[in-house]
Amino acid sequence: MPIVLISVLILALAGPAAAGPLDGPGASTAVVCSACHGFAGQSQSNTMPILAGMPPWYFKKAIQDFAAGKRTSPEMEPYAKQVVQFGLDDVAAYFAAQKRTTTPVTSDPAAIERGRQASAQCTLCHGASGKGDPSKGVPDLTGQPPGYLKNQMLLFKADKRSPGDAQLKVVKTLMTTIPDEQLADLAAYWSSVR
Amino acid sequence: MKDSTRREFLWTSGLGLLAAGCAPTVKDYAQKSGRRVVVIGGGWGGATAAKYVRLADPSIEVVLLEPNRQFVSCPFSNLVLSGVRTIDSITFGYDRLRAQGVRVLHEAATAIEPDARRVRVGNDSLPYDRLIVSPGVEFQWEQVEGLAANQDRVLHAWKAGPQTVELARQLQAMPDGGVFVLTIPPAAYRCPPGPYERTCQVAWYLKNNKPKSKLIVLDANPNIISKTALFRAAWANYPNIDYRGSNKVVKVDPGAREVTTELGDKVKYDVLNLIPPQRAGTIAVSADLVGADKRWCEVNHLTYESVKHKNIHVIGDSTIGLPVPKSGNVANAMGKISAIAVVNLLNDKPVPPMAPGNTCYSWVSDREAIAVVNAYKIEGGKVVQIEQKLTPGQSEMWAQNAVGWANSIWQDMLG
Repeated sequence: MPIVLISVLILALAGPAAAGPLDGPGASTAVVCSACHGFAGQSQSNTMPILAGMPPWYFKKAIQDFAAGKRTSPEMEPYAKQVVQFGLDDVAAYFAAQKRTTTPVTSDPAAIERGRQASAQCTLCHGASGKGDPSKGVPDLTGQPPGYLKNQMLLFKADKRSPGDAQLKVVKTLMTTIPDEQLADLAAYWSSVR
Repeated sequence: MKDSTRREFLWTSGLGLLAAGCAPTVKDYAQKSGRRVVVIGGGWGGATAAKYVRLADPSIEVVLLEPNRQFVSCPFSNLVLSGVRTIDSITFGYDRLRAQGVRVLHEAATAIEPDARRVRVGNDSLPYDRLIVSPGVEFQWEQVEGLAANQDRVLHAWKAGPQTVELARQLQAMPDGGVFVLTIPPAAYRCPPGPYERTCQVAWYLKNNKPKSKLIVLDANPNIISKTALFRAAWANYPNIDYRGSNKVVKVDPGAREVTTELGDKVKYDVLNLIPPQRAGTIAVSADLVGADKRWCEVNHLTYESVKHKNIHVIGDSTIGLPVPKSGNVANAMGKISAIAVVNLLNDKPVPPMAPGNTCYSWVSDREAIAVVNAYKIEGGKVVQIEQKLTPGQSEMWAQNAVGWANSIWQDMLG
């Protein structure tokens, strides 16, 4: 018991003094992610999602699904296994603690407007704000890069993302009813929502 | 000279002098007050390391020595040959790195004094607490007869820049029906899939612009050494490729426009791209950082500290012994891991174990790409591969991801 107390004390004392942007157990692992996902998970590209501020439950599910090959990605499957190897909880906590940013990639205003008009079909699950519902495992759509959002919808539509996942049946069925052009408009809209 | 023009001239030349007077020189850093990390080389490894030392501990001064005023990316430079990208689109300055607090000096390190912990730049010297060396590769000109005397006439275009632009020009100027010869050195060399991607880009250009022309690839290796099946599949679209494995080029004669292979075959060319055999950058050799092979540098797998000299860390293409390819992505990862290691060592803290990763896209046409990804772990103090994964084929989606990767990683290293 005293050892635990001392450890807690040491942690409490060491914590604030060591609060650099690359301190903490997840930070040194996460720097490998920044090549594609940007420093602190603040992705600047159109196709890689923003990880900064991502809730741990969603980050961990994504990594576990990539590592198990449920979400098929030749890029992410190896890296997911690497993250698991070095400590999934730490990396998830690191990204969750980073300042949430929105994508710097902008979309055509006409596409955003078309997407807004068609967005009601998304809000049933993701909410009027598009911020999702963690209690139901529904993620936040807002501010992510439009290319990333579009690719995910296309993967759902083709049943290439988590095939056989019962929870995703509704969203996949919905995607099959939406033309690809409208998926791009929806991506443009939700990407622009702050 | 009109008055306004003269005024402009005086004004701008005055500004130029002012800028020259203010620009920091090595002499300004002859003394150090606090803790200092010097980085040699501002490429994928060095620029990243310099930036991440500052991010990890802004109290540490970072001086980066890089002779070139602009960085030109080797990844994506094969697209300049085919005219799909411009050289300007892959050229970047160092100003954003300066904004991170890195002191960037456009000078070349001439020697390292490990005992005195100093880097020499001509007659001046820069003291350091820890040194990160990211010198890239140098060519072994002497390995190919006739090459050393013709370094300017026989193009490598293996360090992106003026040679990339010149090779693209020669390709465009080649008459239809001409022969383009590309020669590949024995492994290990910078960017294993790079020559095969180049093969795709040159073949794509010829197919679309000079359909009677041919591309002869003379590979010193017995077969394609990276993404083999994916490149073979891509080449099915290019009947203009004549690939010859186990054809090591040992002689070049620019006068006769001819190369000779180890087997004695003579191959005529209209345009030649000879990628010479390689070793670690010159400073690594002169500073005795290379191993018994006199080519590459062995390092500690956790800190990237040289096994030969204390307080000197070596990263990027010049390293050997880790199961990783000589890629920009690996150099970028090594830059970050070594930066965190150096900062922790300077702060007397333990170094967190971390392994690099490798993401590598190759463009097989103007719009489609393939990729390989490698993940690693640390086992018994060594970097060990967890898994290698290839794309199941070529597609425009991988090409989009390649663009996303490039834009992200250029920013990760330079700004």
